[in-house]
Amino acid sequence: MSDALADRIRDARGELTPLLEEARLARLARSEVPGADSTAVCAWNHFENIPTFFNWNNRPR
Amino acid sequence: MATVNGMRGVSRVPAYVVMQPTTLCNLDCVYCYLPLRAQDRRMPVEVARAVAADANAWAALGRFSVVWHGGEPLAAGRDHLGALMAPFDAAVEQHVQTNATLLDDAWCEFFAARGVRVSVSVDGPEDLNAERVSRAGRPAYDRIVKGIGALRRHGQSFAALCVVGDPRPGVASRLYEYFLELGCDTLGVNIEEREGVNERANAHDPDAVRAFWAELVGAWRADPRIHVRELEWSLRYLGAVLDGTSDDLLPRELDPIPTVGHDGAVVLLSPELAGFHDAVHGDFSSGNVLHAPLSSLLAEPRHTSWVPEFLAGVEACRDTCAYFGFCGGGHAANRYFEHGRFDGTQTEHCRNSKINLLDGVLDHVRRAG
Repeated sequence: MSDALADRIRDARGELTPLLEEARLARLARSEVPGADSTAVCAWNHFENIPTFFNWNNRPR
Repeated sequence: MATVNGMRGVSRVPAYVVMQPTTLCNLDCVYCYLPLRAQDRRMPVEVARAVAADANAWAALGRFSVVWHGGEPLAAGRDHLGALMAPFDAAVEQHVQTNATLLDDAWCEFFAARGVRVSVSVDGPEDLNAERVSRAGRPAYDRIVKGIGALRRHGQSFAALCVVGDPRPGVASRLYEYFLELGCDTLGVNIEEREGVNERANAHDPDAVRAFWAELVGAWRADPRIHVRELEWSLRYLGAVLDGTSDDLLPRELDPIPTVGHDGAVVLLSPELAGFHDAVHGDFSSGNVLHAPLSSLLAEPRHTSWVPEFLAGVEACRDTCAYFGFCGGGHAANRYFEHGRFDGTQTEHCRNSKINLLDGVLDHVRRAG
């Protein structure tokens, strides 16, 4: 990663932190936890394995 | 630039396989990339049996999915789709991507009986859905909504895929509000791509695209009930940068994502390449499951002529793009249909759906902060 992009992200730490916490709480509210396998639950630790087939890279549409 | 790990080569074992039960689609969406959507070429059951032989073994080792994709998979009919699904063990997850127009009580019962996970294609409220049309050019919106109503009536949870042709401020909030009302639990937002038979330009004003994504973050933040694919990946990456773990976020290897066409032909990495022909690379296929086991077709991905060129492109992205750790490299089909080859780097799709996405999220927090 370029230093410039990393710097921009780190410079936004103060504003990003509450957003990341909101996202964490939202996942809990949606019962999205690592390893869960029900419909539309993001397998958070498995890049390729997001029902319904929402792969980020080289994904079908 | 620090070296980002991951995405080195192609895994021999996929996490899922995309299956084309029929080439036919009963709609004729303006931006569709599929070349054979007016023809009903159905997958024989022997193709499904051949794929299931390996899929069942992979599912015994870990999570594995079959995605029934089209054409419009429901256009194959319940009896035939059921016959195609039958060879797969219960451990294999079954997913279907549908335009929803054929959904009714009987289909909902079919899905419930088989535990099929459903995703619908809908582009938002009626005026934003105008590109989804019948063969006669008539809007499909009412039929889509009626089909989704059947899912809701049956308590079937569903995801949604939304194509956005004109990403700009004012659109994202309307879309998110619409999908909250629609009741989907997951949303994927695809900025229209120049692929396949869709040759429409996909270059947009970068400021407008960034503003679109920034607005989507704001709308989602006000009521984050929906898992929005693009936002989850952005936030995951941004969190990893703050934690100092972003260089190891990508998977070790690319998933081969084999697409098995109606005739058993296998195309790796980008389903959008299936059905096309190139003077150098032929039909892009890596073989046919009727002639060799799928696992053997995945054993040597570099033997497929275009794959080494694509992998060189991934390495070029790694070496030159600041956003590689976020996206893992441009998709094969985007490279091919935008650049005419696989080893170019940044595409319009990269700009619309990766770079301006991440920058849009950062724009949002800067403004909100």
